[in-house]
Amino acid sequence: MALDMSIFPPLPLAKLEVGQHLYWQIGNLKIHGQVFLTSWFVIAVLILVSILATRNIQRIPTGMQNFMEYALEFIRDLAKNQIGEKEYRPWVPFVGTLFLFIFVSNWSGALIPWKLIHLSSGELAAPTNDINTTVALALLTSLAYFYAGFSKRGLGYFAKYIEPTPILLPINILEDFTKPLSLSFRLFGNILADELVVAVLVLLVPLFVPLPVMILGLFTSAIQALIFATLAAAYIGESIEGHGAEEHE
Amino acid sequence: MNLVWLLAVEAVEEGGGGLFDLDATLPLMAVQFVILAVVLNALFYKPLGQAIDERDGYISSNKVDAAERLAKAEKIARQYQQELAESRRQAQAVIAEAQEAAQKIAAQSMAEAQQEAQAQREQTQRELDEQKQQAMASLEQQVDGLSRQIVDKLLSSVGA
Repeated sequence: MALDMSIFPPLPLAKLEVGQHLYWQIGNLKIHGQVFLTSWFVIAVLILVSILATRNIQRIPTGMQNFMEYALEFIRDLAKNQIGEKEYRPWVPFVGTLFLFIFVSNWSGALIPWKLIHLSSGELAAPTNDINTTVALALLTSLAYFYAGFSKRGLGYFAKYIEPTPILLPINILEDFTKPLSLSFRLFGNILADELVVAVLVLLVPLFVPLPVMILGLFTSAIQALIFATLAAAYIGESIEGHGAEEHE
Repeated sequence: MNLVWLLAVEAVEEGGGGLFDLDATLPLMAVQFVILAVVLNALFYKPLGQAIDERDGYISSNKVDAAERLAKAEKIARQYQQELAESRRQAQAVIAEAQEAAQKIAAQSMAEAQQEAQAQREQTQRELDEQKQQAMASLEQQVDGLSRQIVDKLLSSVGA
């Protein structure tokens, strides 16, 4: 299934594979090995950076601590804006990890030449260009906002389905399905499309022509991470506040 | 691109692959992500968040402290200004008093001196008048004597 484009001389980078996976078998279950390999890399990077940042915490931050404090302040602001001053603190780890994981995944896919490492099947890429990853993150987001709503308002959370009028009940129920769907497909589609565009351009006109698209890809990758985290925080904030008393910011 | 998509779809049909191949990767990834969130919470969010909050507390307490000290300094400066004004006023008063006293003394001594001068002048005038009278008296006597002699001489010359 590898699209080898035999018309062109076989460059090591100019190979396009879509829908190919490196399957690992665990019991009866099949998993995508290439996704896990890159996601472990991403996780390792995040943990390593966190350890470096917090190894020696100073009152006046320098170097890595400063950088990660900047990141943390950014995440806190994001969560505070969407969830609200009172409730945002317990959600910072979830929203922040969403942002950091997606961001580092996307940029690792855009910046690290994974394709130089050959696998028996499939190819290494950003974990977020696999639908499983994005659906997992989106479903976790759904769980998170359900949990937020229930823990805050109990069974009264269900009242949001008939607000502002019971006529909207079907739409409100539908929303619970469209939210994870749109979240996961937005991220998946953007990242996959970006990688495909870059790969096709590299295949057709190698070297300098794909560079602007790659830079654009870096930009969209960062934006997608921000969008995912912001929407997750917004959903959580919405279910904490309730539809009726909607006062964002 | 069409070719690529066709191939992708084909891959799904042929055997287990494809773009939208959902399998056990999904739950495992979710679990992995939750574990990552927990680990990062312990490694990153908590310690750094604590550091940020502590710094915020430190800064705000320092700020309050500094504001207090500034207020204190301003109060002291105001007090100093007041004291300065007070002592300036006192100095002015002392100077005015001294000037008044000096003026009084000067006036007094001037008046005394004038009185003395007046008295001396009067005395001198009196003495002068006395001497003038005396001189007038002796002059009269001499005039009398001379006139008598002239009369005598005239008489004797007539008689002879």
